[in-house]
Amino acid sequence: MLMLEVKNLNVFYGNVQVLWDVSLDVKEGEIVVLVGANGAGKTTLLNTITGIIQPASGSVTFLGKDITGLPPNEIVEMGISYLPEGGRLFPDMSIQENLEMGSFLKKSWKVRKERQEKVFTFFPRLQERRKQLAKTLSGGERQMLAMGRCLMSGPKLCFFDELSYGLAPKLVKESFQMLQMLRDNGLTIFLIEQNVNQSLEIADRAYVLENGRIVSHGTSEELKQSDHVRKAYLGI
Amino acid sequence: MIAIINTLINGLLLGGIYAVTAVGLSLQYGVARILNIGHGEYIMVGAFITWMLHTTTGINPLLCLVVVGPVLFVIGYLVQRFLFKTLKDRSPSPAAFEGSSMLLAFGTLFIIQSLAIFIWGRNVEGYSYMAYSVYLGPLRFSANRLVILIFAILICILFYLFLAHTRIGKAIRASSQDPEAASLMGVKINRMLAICFALGAMMAGFAGMLISLAYPINTTMGMQYTIIAIIVVVLGGLGSILGSLIGGFLLGIFGAIVSNFEPGLTLAAYYLLFMVLLLVKPSGIFGR
Repeated sequence: MLMLEVKNLNVFYGNVQVLWDVSLDVKEGEIVVLVGANGAGKTTLLNTITGIIQPASGSVTFLGKDITGLPPNEIVEMGISYLPEGGRLFPDMSIQENLEMGSFLKKSWKVRKERQEKVFTFFPRLQERRKQLAKTLSGGERQMLAMGRCLMSGPKLCFFDELSYGLAPKLVKESFQMLQMLRDNGLTIFLIEQNVNQSLEIADRAYVLENGRIVSHGTSEELKQSDHVRKAYLGI
Repeated sequence: MIAIINTLINGLLLGGIYAVTAVGLSLQYGVARILNIGHGEYIMVGAFITWMLHTTTGINPLLCLVVVGPVLFVIGYLVQRFLFKTLKDRSPSPAAFEGSSMLLAFGTLFIIQSLAIFIWGRNVEGYSYMAYSVYLGPLRFSANRLVILIFAILICILFYLFLAHTRIGKAIRASSQDPEAASLMGVKINRMLAICFALGAMMAGFAGMLISLAYPINTTMGMQYTIIAIIVVVLGGLGSILGSLIGGFLLGIFGAIVSNFEPGLTLAAYYLLFMVLLLVKPSGIFGR
């Protein structure tokens, strides 16, 4: 089943066009990765889908409903959650409070205890340190908390922006393993990455964004074989 | 020894009002990024509503809390929604907004003050409430100031519990730490800014109600409280609510010590402390 469909999106910052006719789709249960260099427009695309930026033209459809231009709170309510680059935890709030903020919407707030228990089964370490402030956590714990907070709104689809950015190689690997675990538990994942090599290892399909345009897409296997991707991103 | 304890208690009695005064300003600056120069005017309005209700209907001034709170909340909400929000939408950057919002706050100061002078005049007003002394061993204080302290502490505790444990309170703290991330959690950020400004105005109203219990009031009293609130907020650390609470009591004690030597120098000592703070530790005691 088609979960997310982006069609012919054009986005401007002032007079400068940053996304050109971008189209892509994500099916239920998939891990789809959007790869591209710094400045290619990846985060802009996510910000547009999640309602932070308004597109000039084009449409975003989620589970058959047109969500183009809806404000972020309504998009969360529909079942999309977004883990921004760097996690963006609330530094002076505890693990538990960060998780609770993930359940801020009224419907989720009522079931926050159950959701929290579920997050703790995925990440037992968070339960041990539930009273600890987010700013005192290690890199790996932050990553767990950011993912856990994402799950607290009970999403069907999760966006992850640069999950691997600034992390040690061992943590990158762990983070991607966490993603697979979440997918195996029924979550659909759309991932944005500069780390092309490792993200292609776990993704089902991939899109390549260059200078605001989708220049190629296919299954991860296909892209790993493509000459362009090998030369430009894998350094082979 | 008794003199020291007496000074300390006098400081706490003063500090309670300072804390309630400063918490509102701190909330408005910490979340809505508005350095509300007009803060003291909301205090004045709270004081005059209490005075008016008490002198015309004879209702207990402490009960005026239930009128002053909602009225000031609504005024604050409207001021944010129609003035500051409009300005924010037109500001090219958050830094530009921080500067221009201070000027707008200045404008609201004069408008509120002029309206108040139009309604209530320029005279010094007041009423007498529990104007007798209570004795605790060798110590003597006026009963109404003791009531002020008790209510100030209660208001601060309730406000702190609200921020620490309720859904909206947590959203307020999250919005002050990272507004964009908070909006990704589904927090309607514009609504939260309006609520914060309104809560700040409400706390100012409470402070005004408390002040009117024991001190004379007039329609131009606002500025002195604004300045004290700014000093307390800097002392406690910009944006730290807990810092403002504790900072209020600390400044009260400091003021009591100074006025022990020379009451006329209290305000001058506050400014001196303020300048030293800005030079030595601008982030305040509990600053991030």
